[in-house]
Amino acid sequence: MFLGTVVYAVINSVILMLMAIGFNLTFGISGVANFAHGALYILSAYVSWMLLNMLGLPFFISALFSILITTLVGALMYRFVLIRVRGQVLSEVIATFGIGLAILELFRYLGFVGFEYTLPVFIDTSFFVAGVYVDMQRILIVVLGAVLVFGLWLFTHHTSLGLAFRGIAQDERTALTLGIDTDWIATLSVSLGAGLAALAATIIIPLGSISPGEGYDVLIKALAVCIIGGLGSTGGVIVASFIIGFAERFTDSYISSHWTMIVSLAAILIVLTMKPSGLFGKQKELEERI
Amino acid sequence: MLVVKNLMVFFENALALNDFSMEVREGEIVGVIGSNSAGKTTLMNSLSGLIIDMRVKELRKGGERITVYGEILYNGEDIVEVKPSDRVKKGIVLSRERHPVFPESSVLENLKIAGYLKKREEVRGAISSVFELFPALEDLKNRKAGFLSGGEQQMLAIGMALVVGPRLLLLDEPLLGLSPLVQKAVVDAIVRLRDEGSITVVLSEQFARPVLPVIDRGYIIENGMLTLTGSGAELMENPEIKSAYFGV
Ligand SMILES: Nc1ncnc2c1ncn2[C@@H]1O[C@H](COP(=O)(O)OP(=O)(O)O)[C@@H](O)[C@H]1O
Ligand SMILES: [Mg+2]
Repeated sequence: MFLGTVVYAVINSVILMLMAIGFNLTFGISGVANFAHGALYILSAYVSWMLLNMLGLPFFISALFSILITTLVGALMYRFVLIRVRGQVLSEVIATFGIGLAILELFRYLGFVGFEYTLPVFIDTSFFVAGVYVDMQRILIVVLGAVLVFGLWLFTHHTSLGLAFRGIAQDERTALTLGIDTDWIATLSVSLGAGLAALAATIIIPLGSISPGEGYDVLIKALAVCIIGGLGSTGGVIVASFIIGFAERFTDSYISSHWTMIVSLAAILIVLTMKPSGLFGKQKELEERI
Repeated sequence: MLVVKNLMVFFENALALNDFSMEVREGEIVGVIGSNSAGKTTLMNSLSGLIIDMRVKELRKGGERITVYGEILYNGEDIVEVKPSDRVKKGIVLSRERHPVFPESSVLENLKIAGYLKKREEVRGAISSVFELFPALEDLKNRKAGFLSGGEQQMLAIGMALVVGPRLLLLDEPLLGLSPLVQKAVVDAIVRLRDEGSITVVLSEQFARPVLPVIDRGYIIENGMLTLTGSGAELMENPEIKSAYFGV
């Protein structure tokens, strides 16, 4: 039971990390708090679903298109809305949350609710790991999470675009003097965050179903992870995902699933009372941030 | 190379630059000398386009705080409305005041970030010429820039501007807060850049003493207005300049 719980806690943690990493990246680079993150996650899933079931495209093509479309939606959000309110946090939050609300409630209004709204698993098989059965999809989630973290690290440290991201994250005006077009980079940061939300949805949604409510859940989870980790810190996102992920699964297994939410909230409160800026708060290293 | 004609910059109703004109010829080192809040940074930001960026961002938020009038001709073209990244592509590169570096990145990474517009091999070449100019930086290349001394940060800031690849290098108070010895090293490096790298330089300073010997021309600025101009030697002989800018 213990090892099995650990296995599922790891999976749960990676899922949380995937949900939060895009939100965190956008915030870390351009300071934009994108409260439409959860809606973009759900939007991409619905787009995938429609391409798959209405147009009959193969799943991987549908997924690819939905990721691209969501990335584009992120870019448009920046160009047409965020660009005006950038730097005014409250306006950013209201504007992005409003967009998210509109997207999610539109799908609810159109009646996209029910168990048939889901995406297929990539490979339908399972393994026996540490005394429990684990399906291939969950294993792929863990693999993807690891690859993504490593890939993002490579990207931000070894490509000129990634280095520009690190520059603008530290000092936007100095970045401008080096010929870095900060509006363009900020656009990319929001669209990349949106793309990561879509990627997460593509691999996580097959475990459950697509629903507007899930969009709010994902936003809240992403926020919880990022607040515990210290907004903007990638290292913080990883650590915080594991704290919440383990707390949730162990409560489930050893206490009762009624307590899951309470234990997670308690974890958030404990971390915040000890370190109000989160485990790896802004003052900390950039190394941890993107 | 650069002609500034009747430049006026307002921050709301405050006039930060008042009818300022100047000229920079290819291969010169030109000094802009003025005391605190005389308008040096405003001038540098106008030349680099940062002021346009600030204005654009204000406008988006619905404010109209910053107004710019006048002409800035760069090789004959009026660039007043050109945004900073496009000016950089034309070879106008600013190193901002107070040695702006990315504090959480290593020295090497700072220089790499500065190579954003360049190809990988070009960046590598540019970085090794920076290390040649400031050998101290090479030994510190893995150190976080935030942990460097003021002088080292200034060298890094100039190095970053060089990696960008300037034809017209703007240095806003490059000697601020440096010890006389380091000031001399930085001034020597600036002269070398002009002589060997054929880079034209405009630098601003509060104190005239360390820079007057090397500048081809100086512009004295007070309250946003040009009060006096002349060659470095002429300014050095001027009694008013002696009393006002040779103190401290
Ligand atoms: N962003 C700004 N908003 C309002 N006033 C400003 C701003 N930047 C500079 N000023 C004003 O413009 C004048 C010139 O400042 P500045 O160009 O920074 O001078 P210097 O660099 O010579 O010290 C000062 O009176 C300063 O208060
Ligand atoms: Mg200044």
